[in-house]
Amino acid sequence: MTSNFRAFPIVALLTILSLPLVVMYGFTILDSVTDTEPGSLVPTEFTVHHWRFLWDDTTGRGSVWTATLNTFIFAGSTAAIVCATSLTSAYALSRLNFPARRFFLAGVIILHAFPTITLIIAIFLILQFLGLFDTLIGVIMVKAALELPFGIWVMKGFYDTVPWEIEMAGVQDGASRFIVWHKLVLPQVQPGLSALLIFSFLSGWSEFILPLVLAPGSDAQVLSTYLAYFLLDDSLEVDFNLFKSVGLFYALPVILIYLIFQKKLMNIYGGGSKG
Amino acid sequence: MPRFNALGFGFLAPAMIVVTLFFLAPVILTVFFAFTNMSTSTGITGGEYLLTQSSLREVRARSVSEETVQKLESTVYAVDEAGLARLAAARDAATADELAALHGGAEFTSRREMERALKDLRENRIRSTRDRKTLADLFTTSVMDERFQTETEFRTALSAANISEPDQSELVEVAYTGWTWTTENMRLLFSLDSSWRYAANTVFYVVLTLSFNVGFGLFLAISTFYLPAPIANTFRTIWFLPRILPPVLYVLMWYWLTWDTGIISSFMGLFGVSPRNWMLDTATNAWVVIILINGFVGASLGMILFSSAIKTIPDSMLYASEVDGANRWQQIRFIILPQLRWPILFTSSYQTLSLLTSFEYILLATDGGPGGATEVWALAAYHTALNNYGGNLQYGLGAAYALVLVVIGIVTSALYLRFFNFKELVSKPRIEQ
Repeated sequence: MTSNFRAFPIVALLTILSLPLVVMYGFTILDSVTDTEPGSLVPTEFTVHHWRFLWDDTTGRGSVWTATLNTFIFAGSTAAIVCATSLTSAYALSRLNFPARRFFLAGVIILHAFPTITLIIAIFLILQFLGLFDTLIGVIMVKAALELPFGIWVMKGFYDTVPWEIEMAGVQDGASRFIVWHKLVLPQVQPGLSALLIFSFLSGWSEFILPLVLAPGSDAQVLSTYLAYFLLDDSLEVDFNLFKSVGLFYALPVILIYLIFQKKLMNIYGGGSKG
Repeated sequence: MPRFNALGFGFLAPAMIVVTLFFLAPVILTVFFAFTNMSTSTGITGGEYLLTQSSLREVRARSVSEETVQKLESTVYAVDEAGLARLAAARDAATADELAALHGGAEFTSRREMERALKDLRENRIRSTRDRKTLADLFTTSVMDERFQTETEFRTALSAANISEPDQSELVEVAYTGWTWTTENMRLLFSLDSSWRYAANTVFYVVLTLSFNVGFGLFLAISTFYLPAPIANTFRTIWFLPRILPPVLYVLMWYWLTWDTGIISSFMGLFGVSPRNWMLDTATNAWVVIILINGFVGASLGMILFSSAIKTIPDSMLYASEVDGANRWQQIRFIILPQLRWPILFTSSYQTLSLLTSFEYILLATDGGPGGATEVWALAAYHTALNNYGGNLQYGLGAAYALVLVVIGIVTSALYLRFFNFKELVSKPRIEQ
């Protein structure tokens, strides 16, 4: 379908429209390892000075490595909780018969569509009551709970595609429903599970509002709040080269995961959760 | 009769516990909190009873008798057990015993009289006048500036000061420092000028951003569809990245693009334009940047959904139209766009809800500025309850703001159910039948 069509004008138009983004990406990488004279656009010298935050705590916000470890724990635990719980609940909703199943299914759909961020004030107060405010465990539980309806929904979709014949054969041979699930069905939904795992890990890694509100202290801070501190604190001297290096350091795992699992992610982001 | 499987509940249990505690409970509690006056100053657990000089002003405004106010203001000196114990601690037990014998149970309305009573001591004389003055103060009894943990304690103290029963109830209300139930938030919500402005800002923001998202998403999807695969994929990756990059980093890039030390200012500087903050200089600047920041992320969702929808159009239809002599524009207008009706509807409804409620990018970019020009409803809820410059966080009022969004969210999500073919979703499991 290229006969009555010249690609050049479209490519030119797209290039112009994409220019701001490309410039932003390019200079983020470039500026993190170079110095530029004020008022000039062309970098003059190579330097690793902007990465000093890695070994030198000059930012006044604690070590970046603590924040990195916290982010790993936060993203890893939420992903693990979401996957483990949606693995079982989605199977129940997809395949098992129990009272009020319709009700639970409708509940999952409604919760999946519900804008969770509106609950932040109530959650803040609940964590205060429970004494989980400003702790990593509190934010992990909240993030996992809010992500769970999406996880269950996605996993149910994967379970629904598994042929009934596999299970019926297992039951026929005398296996219990649990064994059937564990031995026969789980291997079938393996690809779905890993997609969900990657997605919820990335979602946890990027999460900003929950840690900002629920764990504002420097003990439980994650990389998003660590980086946001540079943007939101007016008293700080604006040093975009430093900020960009921190940002690049923060986004590195995301970019790596994206490059490796591109295909898988494109699918799941189609029904994704961000506006 | 279908068999039920207990395994179902066992499998659901973990998810139910987590969702109930941190998802359903917040929904219900938002309603409750919206009808309280909770704030930083009232605390969230409970309060004490404390009358101060400033609360007396409030007492006067209520229907409390003048007599009561005077009683509260005046200081009474009473030779009671508490006072005697304080005296015993300050001097010695013998002095206290003698005073008890002389004036036990007496009450004086001025310090002078109390001092005179102290002068009456014969065996344990207090010689210096200054000592008598200080010791007289030990016998003051006042409910003012004293903290009471429970209402009963507070009422007992008020009864001791001879304050009438109806006035006591008024005082209890004034003196309570904790939170109480109120419908004041709802009244404020509809009477404050600012909340109407937030609502107008929100509508403006949602309509413009949504149009940008859908329009630009369509453009990206259709234009990349016609391009050779390698070029198309490059552009798709460029536009997909804002969605996958952490929001904080993404907004940081926009800072660098638009700030007075950023690239636009530097670039314009080459032509003699003085540097300025293209993000926060004027309200128009702020809106343009906010819509672009959200729009670039939103357009990528449109791009993905529309692209996959276009791919499902059979090639034969497109070839046939070309054979019939349709040009590119006619192909788009009469074949592609009609096929995209459902994806467009889905994207629009989905993004309307998420744009209404999410404030992440606005918070990071302008924080509602300049001067509240870009303050949308969801951000106002956040600012009221969780982060403001005044320092007194009004959880109750913030929850009232949030409640509006929660209600919209529940109604829209329930409508969502109708979009799905629910019957098919709940088709009976086949093994138990």
